[in-house]
Amino acid sequence: MPDIDLSFVLLSALTLASIYGLLALGVSIIWSSLGMLNMAHGLTFTVAGYGAALAATMISDNGAVVLGAGMAAGMLSGLFICSVAFIPLHDKPNFVVRSLIATLALSLLGSQVLLWAFGPNARSLPPLFGSEPVVLLGMTLLPDKLGAIGVAAALMLATLWWMKHSRTGLEIRAMMQNPEGAALVGIGLRSTAMAVMAVTGALAGLAAVLLSQTYFVSPFSGTTPLVKGLIVALCGGLGSIPGALLAAALIGTLEALTGALLGGQYVLMTQFTFVIAVLIVRPRGIAGLLDHTRE
Amino acid sequence: MNIPKSSPVMYLVGRRRWWPVLGGHGDKLWHRVRYPFTRRTVLHVQGVYNPKTLAREKKILNKKPIWWALGLAALAVLPPLASVGLESNSLLSAAAIFALYAAINLVWMLIIGTAGIFSLATLAVVGSAAYTSAWLSVTYGLPWWGMIGVGGVTGLLAGVIIAIPATRLEGFYYALLTLGLVELCRVSVVQSKALGSATGGLYGADSYVPESFSEMGELLLGYYACLAVMLLALGLYRAVNGQRLGRLLRAAPEKQEAFAQAVGIDFLRARIEVFLISSTALGLIGGFYATHFKGASPSLFGMDNLLLLLAMIVIGGLGTAEGAVVGTLLVVGIDKLLVDLGPMRLVFIGLLMLATVLFTRNGLFGMKAQFEAWRDRIRSQARASRSEHGGEVMPEEAVDIHDKNIIAHRRFDKRTREALKLLITPEVIEEHRVCPRGQHSDALMRLLNYFRVASLVDKYALFAEEPFKRYRVIALSGVRGVPPRRVDDKTYSNLDTAYHAVFLKRCQDLVES
Repeated sequence: MPDIDLSFVLLSALTLASIYGLLALGVSIIWSSLGMLNMAHGLTFTVAGYGAALAATMISDNGAVVLGAGMAAGMLSGLFICSVAFIPLHDKPNFVVRSLIATLALSLLGSQVLLWAFGPNARSLPPLFGSEPVVLLGMTLLPDKLGAIGVAAALMLATLWWMKHSRTGLEIRAMMQNPEGAALVGIGLRSTAMAVMAVTGALAGLAAVLLSQTYFVSPFSGTTPLVKGLIVALCGGLGSIPGALLAAALIGTLEALTGALLGGQYVLMTQFTFVIAVLIVRPRGIAGLLDHTRE
Repeated sequence: MNIPKSSPVMYLVGRRRWWPVLGGHGDKLWHRVRYPFTRRTVLHVQGVYNPKTLAREKKILNKKPIWWALGLAALAVLPPLASVGLESNSLLSAAAIFALYAAINLVWMLIIGTAGIFSLATLAVVGSAAYTSAWLSVTYGLPWWGMIGVGGVTGLLAGVIIAIPATRLEGFYYALLTLGLVELCRVSVVQSKALGSATGGLYGADSYVPESFSEMGELLLGYYACLAVMLLALGLYRAVNGQRLGRLLRAAPEKQEAFAQAVGIDFLRARIEVFLISSTALGLIGGFYATHFKGASPSLFGMDNLLLLLAMIVIGGLGTAEGAVVGTLLVVGIDKLLVDLGPMRLVFIGLLMLATVLFTRNGLFGMKAQFEAWRDRIRSQARASRSEHGGEVMPEEAVDIHDKNIIAHRRFDKRTREALKLLITPEVIEEHRVCPRGQHSDALMRLLNYFRVASLVDKYALFAEEPFKRYRVIALSGVRGVPPRRVDDKTYSNLDTAYHAVFLKRCQDLVES
């Protein structure tokens, strides 16, 4: 058994779990409330990264400002995707496949436009949480990982609290349970869709800024997080919030362990094998939705 | 006396004919061009009778073989001529890439269009076959025909791997899984030193072009080889989609398998079969890819390559072979001919894909069905708002009715009814009530004549429940074997009051029609 630094593995696992949780949560909520698989979530991720980078250079170096700019850019990107891929298509025939292809087209378009506008070079964001390690319980912890876990957890809890206690959150939950029933009760489909995409865009923006220490901001930086977020959402079951969080924790732990024990290049393979095994045992993910609400 | 005889002016009515009409008189009516030694006709021709020219004609029902023949002939001749004429080598190599991508898309269309399974694993299979055969050729010196064979075997194995989750997962779960598979392939290839991560891919594999060929000869052979691959893929598409396996698959689309299962179709086995067949074909194409480009690079697994292929089949339309080929032609044309625009041409392709998906239901070759559905909807809306015409035939329907006497009769009937409605006055009704049988005024006689010669369908009659004591109004069905229906529950003790009741009902029906 090689000598692994348990605190490092644990910290990496928690960081990755929280970031995958943010992405998977977004994908899951969008799927269950709107019935659309948002493949342009990677684009939101990239746009938020660029928004944060621009704010860091033009406005201020402060961590809160950069974070806020990233979230705002993600929100705007989410609203844009909603107005192009969801609103024109949601009442047309063949909506599911068409919206998937529309989001794929948007992600292709968006990454090429960003490539043309900003060039192919990767950018980095300034460190958000300072650079001095913190000593806790005899373990040395890096501040950016700690900050990432803390902020991600806090904002995820805040989002879930908002969804439980606010009017718009209630509408979103109603749409997740039964879209026709929500329409009968008088919940506006389009305004709720805009709210959903804005909130999930902000979450993706947060994930982009927090992950910017590992994934530098470049026009194609959104692809791998998108695929990982989709895989985590898939494993947890599209449409289930606790499933997504549980799957994020499991896959984050698996990634950290594989990275420490086997090496970085086997990470994706082991994650994949795990997800395929889960899906073969439970075809709807760990806690998938019931069949009759949203397939 | 010389009366000048003038022929009447004839106007053309109905749809104009754009196609030359095949003569069908006599012997020629039954003659069909067939493939030699078979009974299979080259074109699906039907004999029709033209009532205007009073002659038999032959109508070609399905003109698609003509379009395919013209298109393939153009593809066989134009690119070499153009590239020799324009002295440009890039045109031929771009045309070769088009043919190769068209082959990949045709096989992909089998899964996405015929089987209805949204699978993105195409590039994973092609790329893994290309990498395996290229690595074997670079490391162990495998010749080009061995590369293609090894590619096929790799494709089959990859097909087994992607077919197993397909039986358990459905819809987007499977699509995302295949997307993850492509990403996995890309990451493992990029990070593996043995597979050329340092050099950006594997190079130096064996090629099927002999060494002695000139550059132009090499390009020409390459183009015709890729075209042959595309024709084989087209043949495979027809063999699967047009025969029994395609029928079984189209009977059981993604979420509606219950009917097929109830009828006894083993759709799971059909899906596995199509996965294995298409993966083997994609593996063969991947092996050919490696020997055509003399290597393989990680760009095969890239997300934008995948999106480009998806754009090709989406723009063409899911479900048809011509959609795959024409979509590939469009996208590769834009990609290769507008190189000066740089990354903006991918933006253009993305915009085209977005526009296709926003405005059409199923791409370019689904536009005919979409247009016809829209036209039928507009027509039925117009017909519903035009409720006044009461049986008169509209011009667009008149073309479809062969016996024009029906149209004339309906128009005459409508005008008669319009005139008779004006004749129904309280005086006429009182006159009939006082004296149902006997001499009547002119207006009443016209009304009664019209009622008496009306068709028997739904004609009011009297039923004598007890002769001379009780009568009831019934309506005849006009159909042999169907009994008349009771109109209401009133009984009449007197024949005259019964006659008047029938007259009143007929007048009411006339006014309402």
